[in-house]
Amino acid sequence: MEILGTVIGVVVKSLIFIVGMFLAAAYLTLIERKFAGHVQQRPGPLHVGFHGLLQPIADALKVLTKEDIVPANVDRVLFYLASLLAFVPAIMILAVIPFGEPFTLFGIEIKPYITDLNVGLILALAFGSISIYGVIFAGWASNSKYPMIGGLRKAAVLIGYEVALGFAMVGPLMMAGSFSLREIVAAQDGFFGAFIWYQPIAFIVILFAILAETGRTPFDVQEAEAELVSGYNTEYSGMKFGLFPLAEWYIGTFVLSAIAVILFFGGWKGPQIFGFLSPFIWFFLKVAMMFMFFLWVHWTLPRYRVDQITEIAWKVMLPLSLLNIFITAIIILIKG
Amino acid sequence: MDLGVVAFWILSAIAVVSAFGVVFFKNIIYAVLSLISALIAISGLFFNLGAELVGALQILIYAVAIVVFYVLVISTVPEYKGEAVDPKYALLSAPFGFMLFMELAFVSVYGLWKSGTGIFTPQVVQEISNAKAVATMLFTKYLFPFEVASLILLVAMIGAIVLGKKDIVED
Repeated sequence: MEILGTVIGVVVKSLIFIVGMFLAAAYLTLIERKFAGHVQQRPGPLHVGFHGLLQPIADALKVLTKEDIVPANVDRVLFYLASLLAFVPAIMILAVIPFGEPFTLFGIEIKPYITDLNVGLILALAFGSISIYGVIFAGWASNSKYPMIGGLRKAAVLIGYEVALGFAMVGPLMMAGSFSLREIVAAQDGFFGAFIWYQPIAFIVILFAILAETGRTPFDVQEAEAELVSGYNTEYSGMKFGLFPLAEWYIGTFVLSAIAVILFFGGWKGPQIFGFLSPFIWFFLKVAMMFMFFLWVHWTLPRYRVDQITEIAWKVMLPLSLLNIFITAIIILIKG
Repeated sequence: MDLGVVAFWILSAIAVVSAFGVVFFKNIIYAVLSLISALIAISGLFFNLGAELVGALQILIYAVAIVVFYVLVISTVPEYKGEAVDPKYALLSAPFGFMLFMELAFVSVYGLWKSGTGIFTPQVVQEISNAKAVATMLFTKYLFPFEVASLILLVAMIGAIVLGKKDIVED
């Protein structure tokens, strides 16, 4: 019976996380479109609801009811699988992200996370990198030129930035002495205890890596609408198409922002000014700030060429992150 | 029934079926897909055994970093070059496959026999976490083999760079 209780508890919690993430992602699209609009001096969505507040619902209805075209010469199994392969691992990262410390509400202990593995960070990295298969297989299955080039470009970019991202995360890990995301947050005490003050190089590398990993503009060579029509998702339509940006631009950016906040900005820590809700409010405020930062970069900068991107990855970001590990190790050795 | 047992059977079934897929699929990209599936199922088995670190690294390194290179090679090498299969290589690989199998079987049985000994009993590992246990062994008892392995990898990397380097043609 106890096992059944655990299973039901985990399933219910996962459902809450997934549904919550879906709804959040829908409204993240609105935030992005509004933000992009104002960055480019236009109003953005304006007519559906007050200042476009109902636009995500209209978009969802449109995407779901659209005719779902599958071109005749695609590899059908892979074509269907690819969009799920991009989406599911992205949302699986939520399983290891903690949103706060356990607290008691009406006598029941509530843990605002699904699991607290002691290798949470590696697992998040692993899930995040599985989702690149979605893009590669989408390019392969479409059986057409532009998607193929887009998928290969994404693979080339990601191999470089995965490595840099992994090494950059080692700095904060060494300071915290644990892979567990909760213990990393616990290791950051007070305003000047946040790891951003001690690991600025790692932070910069991770910013670049998140932009590359989520395919946001300076690094969006896999879509590159000026060169590749729409890149890897050219042949997709309907909800199969909708899942790609949902996974990469919204859920991917959101969970990676959450990880960056946990690694560098002390996660849910902050002054207790909102009562018992303050950990959540601080956490989501910080994640929203990170998210907005990525939007800001995305809608401001022009695109790099693909060779420049891989060059930055291997010749700048990787040495920088290795240097960061070296410096951190020496300082830890000296300070003990 | 214990949840761990159920998970073990499900994951093993997935791993075995996907392993057959790797061998028998004619379409090479499906073979790669089943390889990914097999590797992830094996990582699930590691999680089931309580070896979280190995499980997570299994996904990160094998299922992603290595297989992505397979996919890259498959996508960039022209199809006609990939299709030639000479039966004599299959014959040649049989004894080597058998040797590898024997080695793996020996390691598994030896590991099973040795698992009860040493300072890292399951209780200790639970207390200090997987990563610390692995790191302690790696940087004390197995430091020399670890460094040798990294040296071999470095040599392989430099070799690959030299092989892949194009000669600069001066005109």
